[in-house]
Amino acid sequence: MESLILQHLLNWLVLGSIYTLVAIGFSLLFGLLNVIHFSHGDVSMIAPFVALGSLQVLFGLAGSSAGILPILAALVIAVLVTGLVGIGADRLVISRFRHSPAMMALVATVALGTVVRELIRGFYPQGSNPKSFPAIVQGFVEFGGLRLPALPVLIVVSTVAIVVLMYLLMQNSPIGMRIRAVAEDGATARLMGITPARIFAFTFFLASAVGALGALFFASYAGVVRFDFGVQLGLIGFSAAVIGGLGSMGGAILGALAIAGIETIVQANMADGASYRLVFAFALVILMLCIRPSGLLGKPVFEKV
Amino acid sequence: MSTTTLTHVQSRAALPAGLTVVATEIGGAALLGAFLLAEATPMVLALLALMGGLFAALQLRPRIEEEIVRAFHEARGLATVLAVAIVLVYPFFLGGNTYALHLLIVSLLYSVLALALNFQLGSANIPNFATGATYGIGAYTSALLAIHLGWSFWATLPAAAIVATLFGFLLGIPSMRTRDSYLALVTIAFGIVIHQMLNNLSWTGGPNGLVGIPAPSLLGHSFMQPIELFGFRLPSQANFYYLSAALLGLAILSAKRLHESRVGLAWNAIRADELAAKCQGINVVWYKILAFGVDAFLAAFAGTIYAFYISYISPDNFTFLVSVTIMTMVIVGGMDNTLGVILGAFLLTMLPEKLRIFSDYRLLFVSVVVILFLILRPKGLFPQRQRHYGGQ
Repeated sequence: MESLILQHLLNWLVLGSIYTLVAIGFSLLFGLLNVIHFSHGDVSMIAPFVALGSLQVLFGLAGSSAGILPILAALVIAVLVTGLVGIGADRLVISRFRHSPAMMALVATVALGTVVRELIRGFYPQGSNPKSFPAIVQGFVEFGGLRLPALPVLIVVSTVAIVVLMYLLMQNSPIGMRIRAVAEDGATARLMGITPARIFAFTFFLASAVGALGALFFASYAGVVRFDFGVQLGLIGFSAAVIGGLGSMGGAILGALAIAGIETIVQANMADGASYRLVFAFALVILMLCIRPSGLLGKPVFEKV
Repeated sequence: MSTTTLTHVQSRAALPAGLTVVATEIGGAALLGAFLLAEATPMVLALLALMGGLFAALQLRPRIEEEIVRAFHEARGLATVLAVAIVLVYPFFLGGNTYALHLLIVSLLYSVLALALNFQLGSANIPNFATGATYGIGAYTSALLAIHLGWSFWATLPAAAIVATLFGFLLGIPSMRTRDSYLALVTIAFGIVIHQMLNNLSWTGGPNGLVGIPAPSLLGHSFMQPIELFGFRLPSQANFYYLSAALLGLAILSAKRLHESRVGLAWNAIRADELAAKCQGINVVWYKILAFGVDAFLAAFAGTIYAFYISYISPDNFTFLVSVTIMTMVIVGGMDNTLGVILGAFLLTMLPEKLRIFSDYRLLFVSVVVILFLILRPKGLFPQRQRHYGGQ
């Protein structure tokens, strides 16, 4: 009984971590650009495919037989490539909608997500088939008398580390200050000698790279990856960011934990919970937004005519 | 130089309005027909190039468009009569090509959906990503009533519309408090909840959907039967073609009436500035919820006709992607411009079907085209027009 609860708890934390990593990207980009990068989930989902590809091309390994070093190298490559794709997505498409209505950018990024998805499906070798993805680590870790599977622990611990690092980066580093300056007032930031274009590129790289980690963890935890996983991951990440309060990092984490919590509870307590988990997750989204329209930690907006 | 341009313009202005109307309508119908019947790839590409050329001409010489609009304004009666006549005789010119007829029906239904969404997106600037869901609610309501209770098509039509409208109002309630991206997410979430319910509940048939929806009949004529008229014989699809065309007519009429009424003005005021509209005494909440209701009402009609036409529905017909497609039609065609929206719907329904050469890459191609459209022509093919005041 106790181990079952522990298992659910761990599952909740892992899902929460994965959603957090995706949601932070939405928040970061919304805070800076006021744009919803709807293809964020699909762009992130490139990472597992790049990782699989580089494992095969560089190390001649297929799937689960890989050792720890090649896997680590593949993960780094995947994160870097995805970050660069993020910059590319901004340069090619998103940057053109900086001054148009938000709806335009939203629809354009939805279409961009389809493009990314279809490119993987059509041009990745056998892209339309599900592919097995290796566990990043195997075995168990002993922890104060508890014996826990290593992969979930790794996912949760790395997420905490990434979140702390991101926080420090945003609050204390020069680049973080520049990002916040551009988000506050782009024109004034430019007068202070900051190049907004560079800041945008860096932020897109950062958001996509962190999202890539989320997607890699997701693929590794599920043991399988498919070209269209990005839609759902992106939608949930976006929901998490919104119910937490767009633009707030703490909100993104809170939202991710809330959605993962609902999913875990439904899955654990309902007969066919697995098929209804999305219903409850998105019902929660609607409910939360009705109660607190600007999200849990979002600031209420005062408007001027 | 300037004098020649002037006389040129004068001579064109002297062109009788009736002639312009006839030429435009018949030309447009012929172009559509050629596109529908074109099967060889070079032919499809040539026709696309021709359309592009025509559009570029309109773009470079705005006067042509003004002239056409003016002509349609002057000879309104003629334009309407001719349009109805063309719609009525159209299936005869397509011969027995059932595929072309099928494409036409789907395009008509999507035009209705796009016009329905246009009340929200175009008129009031409310992002609604759940049109696919209300469309599905309409289709499922009528199909369930017909299969389990034996209701006739004509009885399920209003029932489906009422049920979907209630759902539309329900969906509209959160719009009292949320806006923009937040409201967009509420509608996305609503669409996914509905899709997942259809997929999981047992009485909706689950992922297998509902089969065996009976064909409607009118005055003893079953819609399964081909139409025979004056020795001509139209395939059975023609029944649904006329039905969908009638629905589109109704949608155009309501779009026009609503646009010219206080409701349309209120929606436009909300689009311009919600807070200012509120200060003017416009009941913003009511008009926003009304927009959701009107959208759902029309979408349910389209859903009902679709269900009875295909006689089989499954949750896959009503996904988030369907809502996005409808939204794209409105944006690519031109928000708050009836003709533009219909054009967008036809284009985006037929393009993927006609690009069979790209078979596997159709979706990719269409998405790229959509992005290019949004970048190159952000106001849509036909941007919204200035409102004309003073009745005429």
